[in-house]
Amino acid sequence: MVDLVYFQLLSAALFVIGLYGVMARRSAVLIVMSIELMLNAVNINLIAAASHLDGTGKFANFDGQLIAIFIITVAAAEVGLALAIILRMFRNRSTVNVDEINMMRW
Amino acid sequence: MDWAWLIPVFSFAAAPLIVVFGKYLPGKGSWLSILAIGGGFVVFWFVLGSWLGANSGTSGCFTSENTGLLTCDYERSWFNAGVVGAVGSVSLHWGILIDPLTIAMLGLVTFVALMVQIYSLAYMKGDPRFGWYFAVHSLFAAAMLTLVLADNFLLLYVAWELVGICSYLLIGFWHERPKAREAAKKAFIVTRIGDVGLLVGILLIWREVGSFSMLDAFEAVRTGAMSEGVATASALLLFLGAMGKSAQVPFHVWLPDAMEGPTPVSALIHAATMVIAGVFLVARTFPLFEAYDADPLIVVSIVGLVTALGAATIALVSTDLKRILAYSTISHLGLMMLSLGAFGYTAAIFHLMAHGFSKALLFLGAGSVLHSTEFQETGDMGGLRKVMPVTAIVFSIGALSLGGIPILAGFWSKDEILVAVSDNRNVTFIVLTLFTALLSALYMGRAMFLVFFGPLKDQNSQAHESPIAMTLPMVLLGVLALGFGLISFNWPGSFGGFGTFLFFGHGEGFHFEVWLGVLSIVMAVAAFVVAYQIYVRGSISLEGVRSRNAGFLKVVENKYYFDEVYQWTVDRVVLVFSRFIAFFDRAIVNDIMVNGPADMTRRFGVLLRLHVTGHVYSYTLGMALGSIGLGIFVWLRVV
Repeated sequence: MVDLVYFQLLSAALFVIGLYGVMARRSAVLIVMSIELMLNAVNINLIAAASHLDGTGKFANFDGQLIAIFIITVAAAEVGLALAIILRMFRNRSTVNVDEINMMRW
Repeated sequence: MDWAWLIPVFSFAAAPLIVVFGKYLPGKGSWLSILAIGGGFVVFWFVLGSWLGANSGTSGCFTSENTGLLTCDYERSWFNAGVVGAVGSVSLHWGILIDPLTIAMLGLVTFVALMVQIYSLAYMKGDPRFGWYFAVHSLFAAAMLTLVLADNFLLLYVAWELVGICSYLLIGFWHERPKAREAAKKAFIVTRIGDVGLLVGILLIWREVGSFSMLDAFEAVRTGAMSEGVATASALLLFLGAMGKSAQVPFHVWLPDAMEGPTPVSALIHAATMVIAGVFLVARTFPLFEAYDADPLIVVSIVGLVTALGAATIALVSTDLKRILAYSTISHLGLMMLSLGAFGYTAAIFHLMAHGFSKALLFLGAGSVLHSTEFQETGDMGGLRKVMPVTAIVFSIGALSLGGIPILAGFWSKDEILVAVSDNRNVTFIVLTLFTALLSALYMGRAMFLVFFGPLKDQNSQAHESPIAMTLPMVLLGVLALGFGLISFNWPGSFGGFGTFLFFGHGEGFHFEVWLGVLSIVMAVAAFVVAYQIYVRGSISLEGVRSRNAGFLKVVENKYYFDEVYQWTVDRVVLVFSRFIAFFDRAIVNDIMVNGPADMTRRFGVLLRLHVTGHVYSYTLGMALGSIGLGIFVWLRVV
């Protein structure tokens, strides 16, 4: 079976790519997509860890999977909410560039 | 006797009732005040009667080891500061102490206050604040009665300050007049200087004895539990309070200015309430003064003598009738202090009462004159006996009594003081005391002759006798000023004279030193005759004396420059120091210590808010770096 560390490397790579996207992108839609990427990186990490708990490759218990399913549910809700906010933002400001949406600062 | 607390309670209750309901009541509630103090006067007789019927077996009563008098003490718990029984907790009581001193004062205060209030009915008629006047009058009397009944220093101090605030309110009663406002403030502030001494003295006793009870303090002195140093220091501090209230040099300056109040108020302040509180305090705490070598009494007698002599000389040159009487009061208060300082306990209290009746009478008489002539300067009066015969007669009785003419009350009490001074102090004291007595007769004669004798001036031809409400109290006081001296004799029967009723140590009957008595009679009569020759007949001219002593006369007429010295001190010392304090307050306390932290918080906030950029990537970076930092922290801790 595949060693746990490869799953973790994949998960870390996905997470960092997502983080880079959140920090570097200007478009709010792309930032939301990057956040999804980070969430999925965490999911991979959880499921891989759960399947390697006893070192046999069999599912010892379902804790990791349960949390992953929970994250997927929350992520779906979050995407719906985020897209609604972005839509309202576009209606009001005619842009989704987060650099231009900086009213909430000192 | 344990219901003697009713006496002040009547008047305490009357004051707020008059303030709140006065305008709906007939006479603006003035009768309520008179009823209250009249009730107090009635209860006084019951207290006297039950004290005479009591013995050391009566509940609450015992024969004091300090004074040798039958003393009754009734106290109730007031409140506890701290946990009961714990170290450092204080259990406070309030209670009443009844001994002959208290009884004598109760009689004097209730009677004079009653007379003055009846007199005020006519004198204050038509005043826009008629009701308020009687309310404060009631409170004043109540405070003074509490003061004389108090069995512990704390209650005494509360009453003491109440007396102070009431005198402030009454002296400044006509506060539309700037001079009245100034006089009220002066009285309050000057007496307050002494009050600080009183408070420190009380706290010193409390620290040493652990109780505010006077009896505990006296017991501690008697058994030696209170050391000589503490006893002396606390006695002198208490005396400082007494000096302020009783207008002793150098705190006498407020009393002449207090003449700005209505004249009946002056009568009350001078005879029954305010100024005698100091003499009473010294008499009440006499065991502290007399303990060990009785050193504080030397100070008391010197201050008293200086006050008596200085004020008598000023009274001799004043031209304002009320001011003559005011300086006369200061002089006689000095005599009372001198008497206390010379172990003349009985004489001092006797003189306090005789002076109280006479001085109340004189002030009421002066008020009667002012009421009908509208003048205050003696130069504007003269010959008034033709238009105001009753006032003239009772005023003369008061003046002769204070001047020391035999049979009248003032003669006997003054004589007792002379005996005490000659027995216990050296020859300088007795000579100066006799000289003061001479001056006393001289200025009393001067006031009496200038106002009531000689030709009647045209401007006073409309003057008339005062109404019955004013003359009746004067006549009653006149009877006492005339006959009060009789109670000092050894009457056949059970009454052995005032000296066996009120004493310190052991009772003494009436005694009389022939040479002193004859000397004082001769001096008093001579003084009145000389005054008559100068101010009525004009057969003795003062021009020669005046021109020869012009320098000294100027000093006396300027009241020994006490006011100027005070003014200088206030301007040059107090105000300069105040300015420094004000600067310290503004620069250090306000700018640095109060505004400083606020300013720092604001500056820090200005810096801190810079991180809120509004750029999403900066927040994200912060979150990422924070997570990494936390991760490293946890990793390092775990490993």
